[in-house]
Amino acid sequence: MIPTGEATIGPFFPPRYVDAGANDLTLFEGRKAKGEAIEIRGRVLQEDGAALENLVLEIWQTDAKGIYRHPADPRHAQADADFLGWGRTVTDAGGEYVFRTIRPGATEGRAPHINFMVMYSGLMRILKTTMYFTHEMDVVLSAVPVSRRELLIAKKQGPDGYRFDIRLRGENETPFFDD
Amino acid sequence: MKTVIDPRDERTQPARIVPGYPQTPLRNPREPLIRRPPTLSELSGPLEVARRVRVLGGDIAGQGEKQAIGQLIHLRVRVLDEDGAPVGGTVVEMWQANGAGRYIHPNDDDHAPPDPNFYGAARLVTDENGQFELRTVKPGAYPVPTRDGWWRPPHVHFSLFGKVWLSRLVTQMYFPGEPLNAQDRILNAVPDTVARERLVAQLVPPSAQPHNALVYEHRIVLRGRTATPEQS
Ligand SMILES: [Fe+3]
Repeated sequence: MIPTGEATIGPFFPPRYVDAGANDLTLFEGRKAKGEAIEIRGRVLQEDGAALENLVLEIWQTDAKGIYRHPADPRHAQADADFLGWGRTVTDAGGEYVFRTIRPGATEGRAPHINFMVMYSGLMRILKTTMYFTHEMDVVLSAVPVSRRELLIAKKQGPDGYRFDIRLRGENETPFFDD
Repeated sequence: MKTVIDPRDERTQPARIVPGYPQTPLRNPREPLIRRPPTLSELSGPLEVARRVRVLGGDIAGQGEKQAIGQLIHLRVRVLDEDGAPVGGTVVEMWQANGAGRYIHPNDDDHAPPDPNFYGAARLVTDENGQFELRTVKPGAYPVPTRDGWWRPPHVHFSLFGKVWLSRLVTQMYFPGEPLNAQDRILNAVPDTVARERLVAQLVPPSAQPHNALVYEHRIVLRGRTATPEQS
């Protein structure tokens, strides 16, 4: 029997590490962020199609007006005080994750998007990718080979939901960025 | 505040597919990773993670009746950015096995006993000098359940944020002089020997303070030519 990844090098984050609510970006310190609340769900799979449990995902994005809560953003003084822009979650036994967040605004040269980070045992390095809402071009999506761009565009699911599956390797492999 | 980030030097980073580590060929991308022009999106990042997650404090060895079993150690760690400047106010998360080499985790096997006084994880914030100090016990080595007798040397896992999305780092810290270091498949997945050495802490010569613990110093450089290798 090939052992599971978790048994291979010990756990990734310890069990209490992903704080309850860290995957809900619509609420920050009890206050509601401005903008349109959306839900992003997806499954994370490895090459043989096995769903990966207890895999850690983090996201980083702008607020509804397209402002990053960071001094590098010239408009950051106007960022929504009730939106952190960062969240973390883990996949369940079926390899599924969910984030509740605010639809990000567009920024200069960039279509609305959400940065994702994948961390797991057996991944020697963090994997980074980016989720888009539409095919609207931007400078990062343009760097992706045409045939693979579709894999970065979330599928609409229900009135306020999106689906963004992540395949670490193999058929329909998610494009990851070298940075 | 503008950050410039150089691409990582592959020789200073671990190979993604590691012989004898059976999960790596299933989980690491087959397609080449795509180089993208860094924009504000990647050159910004969460600076206030401590407002979202619970900071847990710098003593996980315990006190009084509830002390963990093992060699008491202090870790003095300094976090630096690409330019060598200290990164203050950033969240650092750590986790480790107990003194017997057992994690507090349902997936961990039963080769070694749990320690009821050791949870084995902390979450801290660096001070203005980019430093933090953690009181803990030295983690034990543990066997990896592959068929061929691979043991992980004693190590501590660290996860750091830094100031921008591209400075996010997950790494491990090793102890100097451990015989298992030379055979560890994760540590030795980093081809460059100098970069590999950056993953090993230094023992501070014992002195009067603290009288009851060994002190290890360690530097974590988030990016740049002297970056600490990733070790997820
Ligand atoms: Fe470990």
